[in-house]
Amino acid sequence: MPALDIPFFGTLVLCLILISASYTMAVAMGAGQGRPHLLPSARWGTYATCALVLVAILVLAYAFQVHDFRIRYVARYSDRSMPWWYLVTSLWGGQDGSLLWWSFLLSGYTFFAVRWLRGRYTELQPWVIATLMSILLFFAILMLFAANPFATYIRTTPGDGEGLNPLLQNYWMAIHPPVLYMGFVGWSVPFAILVAAMVTGRLGNEWVRAARLWSMIAWTFLSIGLLLGCLWSYEELGWGGYWAWDPVENASFMPWLVGTAYLHSVLIQERRQMMKVWNVFLLFLTFFLTIFGTFLTRSGLIASVHSFARSDIGQYFVWYMAFLLIAFAALMIWRLPKLKADNEIESLVSREFAFLLNNWVLLGMMVFVLIATTFPLLSQWVRGEEVTVGPGFYNKWMVPLGIVLLFLAGLGPLVAWRKATGSKLLRAMAFPIGVGLAVALLQALFGARLGYPSVVEPTEIYDTGTGTVLAWMSAIAPGVSFATCAFVLASVGQEFWRGMRVRMRKGEGAGKALVNLVSKGRRRYGGYIVHVGIVFMFIGFTGAAYDVEQESALRPGETMDIGNHVVRYDQPRMETDPNKRMIFTDMTLLDESGNEDGQVAPGKFIYRTHPQMPTTEVAIRSRPAEDVYVIMSTVDPSTQRGTFRIIIRPLVAWIWIGGLVLLFGALLGMWPTGRELLREEAPRIRRFRFSPATAVVGLAIVIATMIAWAGVASAQNDSSSSLHAGSVVINDPVERQLFGRLLCQCGDCARLPLDTCACGWADEKRIEVRERLSAGEEPTRIQESYRAQYGAAALAIPSDEGLDRALWAVPIAAMVVAIGFIVVLGRRWQRRGVAPRASTASDASEKLEYDTRLDAELDRLEES
Amino acid sequence: MADYLPWLFVIGAALAVIAALGSLWLSLSLAFSDELVGGARAQLTTDARRGLLTEKENLLQEIRDIAFEHDAGKLSDADYEEINAKLRAQARHVLHELDIGAGPFRDEAEALIAERLSDEG
Repeated sequence: MPALDIPFFGTLVLCLILISASYTMAVAMGAGQGRPHLLPSARWGTYATCALVLVAILVLAYAFQVHDFRIRYVARYSDRSMPWWYLVTSLWGGQDGSLLWWSFLLSGYTFFAVRWLRGRYTELQPWVIATLMSILLFFAILMLFAANPFATYIRTTPGDGEGLNPLLQNYWMAIHPPVLYMGFVGWSVPFAILVAAMVTGRLGNEWVRAARLWSMIAWTFLSIGLLLGCLWSYEELGWGGYWAWDPVENASFMPWLVGTAYLHSVLIQERRQMMKVWNVFLLFLTFFLTIFGTFLTRSGLIASVHSFARSDIGQYFVWYMAFLLIAFAALMIWRLPKLKADNEIESLVSREFAFLLNNWVLLGMMVFVLIATTFPLLSQWVRGEEVTVGPGFYNKWMVPLGIVLLFLAGLGPLVAWRKATGSKLLRAMAFPIGVGLAVALLQALFGARLGYPSVVEPTEIYDTGTGTVLAWMSAIAPGVSFATCAFVLASVGQEFWRGMRVRMRKGEGAGKALVNLVSKGRRRYGGYIVHVGIVFMFIGFTGAAYDVEQESALRPGETMDIGNHVVRYDQPRMETDPNKRMIFTDMTLLDESGNEDGQVAPGKFIYRTHPQMPTTEVAIRSRPAEDVYVIMSTVDPSTQRGTFRIIIRPLVAWIWIGGLVLLFGALLGMWPTGRELLREEAPRIRRFRFSPATAVVGLAIVIATMIAWAGVASAQNDSSSSLHAGSVVINDPVERQLFGRLLCQCGDCARLPLDTCACGWADEKRIEVRERLSAGEEPTRIQESYRAQYGAAALAIPSDEGLDRALWAVPIAAMVVAIGFIVVLGRRWQRRGVAPRASTASDASEKLEYDTRLDAELDRLEES
Repeated sequence: MADYLPWLFVIGAALAVIAALGSLWLSLSLAFSDELVGGARAQLTTDARRGLLTEKENLLQEIRDIAFEHDAGKLSDADYEEINAKLRAQARHVLHELDIGAGPFRDEAEALIAERLSDEG
């Protein structure tokens, strides 16, 4: 290996990134201020900066491979026994490296965006480059002054590293963080285009069009990244769920919500040149939330299962966020006159208004998540009391909002742009509503028999009226959700059918009509397919209402019954590799007739570097109807007796199927944009040219292949893990409700409620609580004494009184005010009417000539 | 793989260093060159036209979508007529603006053609 001082060289490269990004930003700003000849120079400066970031990441990757433990980051996140692929994933396993990884992805986006911009949007280019360089500059400053991934130990160099956290030694970790980061970082490009538009005052449709493809790319990566996070949680954390409303998850979910609102709202601007201020705000907010989310999780301010250690990088983020807010506010005030809408809403029964409602729900959900995520911090600041907002709170409030959003996804396509008459809308809605009602009726009649009742057992998070209302809403949610899913599917199906029928009337066969329909309206029909993906996910989410869970201690050869399954424990076995010892328990699934229906092997991994942290590897047998999720809690080496927890999770596979459908729909929606923009640049060139859409498709294929590979690996190994080693037994609904409100205080898993946490401490506490319940003590009293003993933070959900009530009252009030505002504004717009633009081509013969040209252009569009 | 990977990273880093230095040199030499001033200005003048072309494409798309929605039964005949008339009026306006914008180019092209024809006799 070359004799090179890697830490010094790495730090030197970081310095060069800082200098190069500053230089490029200055040159780009010069180009934007009347010296356009500087633009090519800024472009080459950008390429140089991106190449330097590539050098930095390759140097760090090299340091990991050669075990250069002089570098603190390498020593903390790797060890000599780790295979090369985990040494690569260690790049983003910790704080400092993940910031460099972030910069690397940003430089990748910047490189492709600047290449794509060549010959396009010349006025915007300099400011796009300057903005992207300013973001890169911020990360360079952060790395150089607060989180240098090349920093060395001051005194001795360790002989071996501490190793990567066992939870991160999982195949999903090779895919999930890069994809999620691609989603986060991706919003920088549309944001940079927005800033460029605001600085230059070119606030028509130009920037929207320029940002469209990039925002779709970012949104797609963010969506898939979130889903991969769910998969990681489901398989790796081993608590049986896929989404825990952890602050890190929420930090990714918030920009997704606002980004989704933007993607819908911007359609109104494209179509009607309306909502310009709103779209500018939404895009800024999406980017801001990516930075805010990073700040929340990187600063260590909020406790999370996967947050990084507390560090002083938080103050850098605070300054950067303050700068962003002030700069955006200044730009907004400066450009407000140019953001005036050209049109107004003509009817409250229109696609525009349906999109406004969609924005209202999405933003409402974002406010809920934002307040709940930051509430512990606010509570600490305002009254000095630490509280916890557990998953129960989010689940209760988010489910009804999610169903409303789902309903709007089905309603939107049925409503025409500008204005739809009531009778036509009712006619359009008749079939989807009929299908929804039919499903609701069928479920009410036969659901219980099939294991999917319309109404489930209500559980209360509060002992107040609010708690009762929420409990009943969640009790009827499964039935309403399935009916709404059917409504949306029928609505999308009807849209396809109506479109096909129009084409079939022109003489096309059904197959050709479908192909032409989709190929000529990829964005629209891609969007509908995304909606279908979301419906599939909702089917999967709804399945959680029917989970069945059981825990048993078995000797080899013994069986346990759960749902329609019989599970037989066969034998334990041990395997080793240089990195860890692996203890598996072979189990056989039997059907009702006693025939073998599959094999699973849950286990425990004990890593060489983290022997105190054994991971429980769950085994999952996945089918579209249900997953059998098996956790081995303990196994006694002398008697071979094992304790097992088995969860039957109906319909969960539909979440992942929905993800693949969503990816397909998003790619379909993006594809024409790339071609369209390419054609705009070079109309007659037919040869293959690189485009961002090509890159996205390539990346998507890579991701899909990796997911498929990981799926195969999962089927072979049936492995993932948990930190816990005990078991969960819940006897009745009263226990479930109470355990759901109390958080484990063992110290390792403080955020898990007692109805989920399987550690020994939680088990003892459950026994104690059960005894108190048997003695006739009221659950409310037990909850109060638990709070008195361990503090307010030991309760999964804050109380429904005093300041705690703000947790739901503030977002609800905000949503009520917002909907009132939307309706009043809509009515005012409607009353005002729309003045058609004056046409200077008023002369009749001239009008005829232009109409003829328009018809020719429309024919060209149809044939293209 | 584990044996070759470090070398791959080293080679990759070396190539990236060369690319960075080359790009930086190009950037600096372009920054101090005045050759591109005219070209860059000419590029900027076409941007306004591109904006109008974009608007034209959007309006055409909108006219087509409205017709599609009418054919699919989502828009009544009266609404369709009204909206279609508005959109076509806007599109005519854009075409007119494009024609005005193309005027100087057309004049210049015609002058060049006339000059060439007179040169050729």
